[in-house]
Amino acid sequence: MSTETSQHIKLGLFVTIGLLIFAAGIYFIGDAKQLFSRTFSMSAMFNNVNGLQVGNNVRFAGINVGTVENIQIISDTTVQVDMVVDITTQKFIKKDAKAIIGSDGLMGNKILNISAGTVGKPIVENGDMIGTTLPVSFDDMLANLKITTDNASSITNDLADIIANIHSGKGTIGKLFMDTVFAENLDKTIVNVKQGTKGFKQNMDAAQKSFLLRGFFKKKDTDKKSDKK
Amino acid sequence: MSNFLSTLFEYGKCVFGNQSSPSTKPPLIYQFLTGVADFAIFTGRYFMELIKPPYEFKELLKQSYRIGLQSLPLVGITGFIMGLVLTVQTRPTLAEFGAESWLPAMISVSIVREIGPVITALICAGKVGSSIGAELASMRVTEQIDAMEVSGANPFKYIIVTRVLATTLMLPILTVFNDIISMLGSLAGVNIHGDVSFSLFFAQAFAQLSFTDVFPSLIKTIFFGFSIGLIACYKGYNANKGTVGVGEAANSSVVLTSLMVFIIDMLAVQLTSLFIDT
Repeated sequence: MSTETSQHIKLGLFVTIGLLIFAAGIYFIGDAKQLFSRTFSMSAMFNNVNGLQVGNNVRFAGINVGTVENIQIISDTTVQVDMVVDITTQKFIKKDAKAIIGSDGLMGNKILNISAGTVGKPIVENGDMIGTTLPVSFDDMLANLKITTDNASSITNDLADIIANIHSGKGTIGKLFMDTVFAENLDKTIVNVKQGTKGFKQNMDAAQKSFLLRGFFKKKDTDKKSDKK
Repeated sequence: MSNFLSTLFEYGKCVFGNQSSPSTKPPLIYQFLTGVADFAIFTGRYFMELIKPPYEFKELLKQSYRIGLQSLPLVGITGFIMGLVLTVQTRPTLAEFGAESWLPAMISVSIVREIGPVITALICAGKVGSSIGAELASMRVTEQIDAMEVSGANPFKYIIVTRVLATTLMLPILTVFNDIISMLGSLAGVNIHGDVSFSLFFAQAFAQLSFTDVFPSLIKTIFFGFSIGLIACYKGYNANKGTVGVGEAANSSVVLTSLMVFIIDMLAVQLTSLFIDT
């Protein structure tokens, strides 16, 4: 084989492999965008699409099954989102399926999630309009978070006031914790109660031994024993 | 300033007023403008010769082999290293956000859109541009081109058209090879710290790529190849001053083609963002 022929064969191989890699790349990119599979279309109406764009993924059961094909404003409160979905998924999506706009991770793209719908309901058809669930927008979450933080702030302010009152000995609990005179009085009271209960016990022991009350206590003992039996 | 204007005026009179050439060296602006005009005529002649038969297929294949296949090892090694280094350097930043899983998608978009085409073009500007510039300049100073003209052959068609067409056709193919080898380098880079399978890496990479990434960058490489071939051929074909001219032609070919690659790249990015919402 001459050098020239060998060079031509190598060049042919080089160009062919290059073109094959390019074709494979195009196929894989198209496949990821559902360009080469058979699809059917569905639509959904939203009040707000929260930044969803044409080309974003459509997910069913966590699997990418299609893409958003078109987004158009129908009226001041309605936006229609058209999507193309892989035809092999059609049998799992029922007429009462719901679409909800979600996010692919904290920093990811917007995605359109489709729920399956109720078992026993008819299967969705090409061009059908499915229902939607209002997505929780980040702004709503922030608004709720603001209310919660305002409440928390108010509670902590009240708590700070209560602790300040306790610290300055105001109120019953404040006195209990901070008033030394009150504590001393309480201490003395407890000592008095102790002494009182001790004296009372001695009186009761004396009463049990007294001949006037002995019969009463014996009767009580007998009743106790009969109750136990 | 008045000196400069008077010199320019003197040269203007020589061009438009049939006067003999002045004794002083022409000013830079004059040299630049005549250079631009020469290059425009050279480009126009290229297109004329390109469409006019006969076609030099054998020489085209030979040049394609030299420019395309013989540049593949260099382009491949550079691409692999670029993919690997880019991945290793990007990883810590993404890891700070816990977004390491975005590496394949991010690197593949960078490679396909920008790094692959530009690196391939710069490698070709260095390797192919200098070789064409030096080869044609040495042919010019040894009067081989003149000999071809005297013998009735068309040196422009045989030498220039085949080389420019070969660089224009081979650069997109080399870029495709560079892109895929860079992605393999990136896969190796990802697997230094993590464990990502071949299929997962390419699934993530292709999921993020779109046709608006691939086609503009591929069209860009056609212009890269065309400018590398044309400038190197122009510099070599118009070389003079003996053996010094050969070195100058090779050097200015590399410098100008590299600069042109960046200028075309900037224009391509502007045009792409103008027409395609990326």
